[in-house]
Amino acid sequence: MFISDCRREFYDVIVSQRVLLLVASDVDALCACKILQALFQCDHVQYTLVPVSGWQELETAFLEHKDQIKLLVKQDDDLGVPAYDDIFRDDEDEEEDSENESEGSEPSEKRRRFEEDIIERTMKRRQRREWEARRREILFDYEQYEYHGTSSAMVMFDLAWIMSKDLNDMLWWAIVGLTDQWIQDKITQMKYVTDIGILQRHVSRHNHRNEDEENSLSIDCMRIAFEYDLRLALYQHWSLYESLCNTSYTSASLKLWSVQGQKRLQEFLADMGLPLKQVKQKFNSMDMSLKENLREMIEESANKFGMKDLRVQTFSIHFGFKNKFSASDIVYATASLMENIEKEGPETTNFIKALDSLSRGNLDKLHQGLALAKKQLRAIQQTVASCICTNLVISQGPFLYCSLMEGTPDVKLFSKPVSLCLLSKYLLKSFVCSTKNKRCKLLPLIMAAPMDVEQGTVIMVGIPPETESSDKKNFFGRAFEKAADSTNSRTLHNHFDMSIIELKTEDRSKFLDALISLLS
Amino acid sequence: MPVVAKQSERMRQFKNKGKNAAALRRQRVEVNIELRKAKKDEQILKRRNILFSLMEENISPEDKRNEVVQLSLEEIVEAVNGSNEELQLQATQATRRMLSRQKEPPINQIIELGIIPRLVEFLTCADNAPLQFEAAWALTNIASGTSDHTKAVVEGGAIPAFISLLSSPHMHISEQSVWALGNIAGDGALYRDALINCSVVPPLLALVSPVTPVGFLRNITWTLSNLCRNKNPYPPLDAVNKILPVLICLMEHEDKEIISDSCWAISYLTDGSNDRIQIVLDTGILPRLVELMASPELIIMTPALRAIGNVVTGTDEQTQVAIDAGVLAVLPCLLRHAKPTIQKEAAWTLSNIAAGPCRQIQQLITCGLLPPLVELLDKGDFKAQKEAVWAVANFTTGGTVEQVVELVQSGVLKPLLNLLLAKDSKTILIILDTISNLFLAAEKLGETERLCLLVEELDGLEKIEALQT
Repeated sequence: MFISDCRREFYDVIVSQRVLLLVASDVDALCACKILQALFQCDHVQYTLVPVSGWQELETAFLEHKDQIKLLVKQDDDLGVPAYDDIFRDDEDEEEDSENESEGSEPSEKRRRFEEDIIERTMKRRQRREWEARRREILFDYEQYEYHGTSSAMVMFDLAWIMSKDLNDMLWWAIVGLTDQWIQDKITQMKYVTDIGILQRHVSRHNHRNEDEENSLSIDCMRIAFEYDLRLALYQHWSLYESLCNTSYTSASLKLWSVQGQKRLQEFLADMGLPLKQVKQKFNSMDMSLKENLREMIEESANKFGMKDLRVQTFSIHFGFKNKFSASDIVYATASLMENIEKEGPETTNFIKALDSLSRGNLDKLHQGLALAKKQLRAIQQTVASCICTNLVISQGPFLYCSLMEGTPDVKLFSKPVSLCLLSKYLLKSFVCSTKNKRCKLLPLIMAAPMDVEQGTVIMVGIPPETESSDKKNFFGRAFEKAADSTNSRTLHNHFDMSIIELKTEDRSKFLDALISLLS
Repeated sequence: MPVVAKQSERMRQFKNKGKNAAALRRQRVEVNIELRKAKKDEQILKRRNILFSLMEENISPEDKRNEVVQLSLEEIVEAVNGSNEELQLQATQATRRMLSRQKEPPINQIIELGIIPRLVEFLTCADNAPLQFEAAWALTNIASGTSDHTKAVVEGGAIPAFISLLSSPHMHISEQSVWALGNIAGDGALYRDALINCSVVPPLLALVSPVTPVGFLRNITWTLSNLCRNKNPYPPLDAVNKILPVLICLMEHEDKEIISDSCWAISYLTDGSNDRIQIVLDTGILPRLVELMASPELIIMTPALRAIGNVVTGTDEQTQVAIDAGVLAVLPCLLRHAKPTIQKEAAWTLSNIAAGPCRQIQQLITCGLLPPLVELLDKGDFKAQKEAVWAVANFTTGGTVEQVVELVQSGVLKPLLNLLLAKDSKTILIILDTISNLFLAAEKLGETERLCLLVEELDGLEKIEALQT
């Protein structure tokens, strides 16, 4: 169902019931979940939490609990929804549309005169036919592309705010949710900036007391601050050097997989006057004098090297003297925890751990996540470098294709959807910077990696082309479905993101062939 | 603090941040409220519509202006039989509304009230046009039911009343009368002729003029078609002679429905004895009919094809008129038409032309009718195939030896023999007759042996033998 009033039509309904919460496996969903949990705690709502990673699990969970389910809300990024009236029609009296069938048959011997004018009726019929044609078009467009709307965490925060139950903690989760969308490249730059603006107002409202010396809070209290920060992944918990090497933006722009790229990096550092020794140290141990004005300095130099967007609007959280984290740090950490390939217990442990790490009391989990995230980012960059250097990205005509072989280092990491998507996006960015072929720069990318060796399955994702004015709309969901249908390939379209599928390794080539002819 | 100052400065550089935070929030809340309100209004409107349709079925625009009055059946009878003109009108209107709703109008109930004679009386109230109109509409709808319903209306004395109303100064009333008379005529030959005997035709035809609105013309054309309809007996000749010229005119109109109904009327008029066909041919309408037969509009093409199909059931001379008008150029398309009924009618038309003299059969060949015929025989709809078999049979009966040879050369044998597998015994008999005709022709040319071989190659022998069991 579509809800227009979150509070009345949703929260007020469930607050008096027992709630089943089905949460998808991405950071935004986790953040939305945290907010909702906090609200439930406030209002003493009993709930059961079930992580679901795809449609099948959603169905299973639903069926298991279905006797008790009255209202179903799935935490997921909402997709652009067409207007109600364009799709649904309140049932009017069903007119016999016999006019069409009897075209060319004898005129009736007798005719009754109906209430409405005949012309009015034909007009109505014609309108209805036009409406149906338009509806088909709209549904086709709607179902053809996948794209993301507002972050669910932000939606939940909005709900909390409407009920005047919003807290700084919830605001932080909303920020993390939005940042997750940005990092996964699910929303346009425009949308990101707009949503940052919305959150900024809330941040001011919650955190203005810092400015007032008389009423300032204790240093231990949690504070959120707006930052125009460097776009270098995890740099405050790493060394600047590592961060520069393992952030896709810098790595791709400087082409760090090549020898000239490395040289350029040295020039870049030299331009900023940053000694290599310092830069390779842990960031916190860097000379204070160098860290002063670091952002502006880097930005200036970056501009000279063709990196105009090295700084980005974001937020950071402080609590205590030591604990300062940027929103993107949390996103990387949480995602790595969630997709940790080392299984420590039942399936949902990772999920729960990731969820827990979002609470300030679980710093150890957060740090574990950060460590995993560093590993992941390194693995991604190394894989990207090797793919580019060995020309593993090939053009298939309507799209680019890259397949990771079994036995590639860290390939197990990429059997998980979010990691594979991240890898694909970074790979595409780097490829676009590396290739001279103008046509290839505009192509989308399909990436495949082995998923389960025993079962002989492969995980495949499709991502839209890398362009400046991209609207981030992804048509692969539909395309995958059609290709699978036409070749009877054994595929599993389980993920909520329809552009991620699993298929049997044996069916891969015919599936790809079908895709090529479909999209040519 | 310097950091904050820098922050606010930078903030101002970005969208929305230049504005006061409070102003921004006001704006957003207002937008939200507006959106929510708009949605709420929509919801109310929708519910209202549903409620309306539940409460009152089919409220006409006139009623929305006046108060909608609900009357019981007893109240209706009382009002109709009373002398209060206001109440008479209300009751008649209520009756009309009941009879014009979409589903299951209570015709029997209304008839049982016994108010029909009174309603017919209302038709004569020249000083109360609304009353005339409502009564006319109500009676029209009663007459649109079964034969018994129409009978009730006729026995109430409606025929002369309606015929008078054809000359009403109010166009909507005369139009409604045309409609009512169409219903009565459509009941069957009996009432049709009753109308004609009451001189319905002249005032009806007088309504056709260059300034008559299209909707009205459509009604008139439909009623005229009903006056031409039905056999046993055919419509009186003098009526037909009066109606035909007007019909010919109407066939030149640009409105599709008018053309269609006119063609249907012509098809009824040609569905009879040869002298009936001749009357139509004498109007010179045939070229126009052939033109319409080629129309892409199914509602026009169907009756035109039917009419022409009727024409070629006549004499050889009458068939020749059709051929001269160019029917053979249009037929191939129709033989290949997607709709099975069209295929069938085209094949039937062809079969009748093939039943003509050999000069007409020659024209069939010259105009390239053999290939589409063979195609139809091979792949057409089964009913069409049966007609095609007739066409081939007639061809072999009336054609010269050379013409039969050309028929065989066009590849007709294979699909013909295949049809021996059909379950229709009549068709099989015709095919067998055809084959013997073919052998007769072969004999004359001394080509019997060759024909035998051909038949055997096409597994014809087996199929024929199989019929012996």
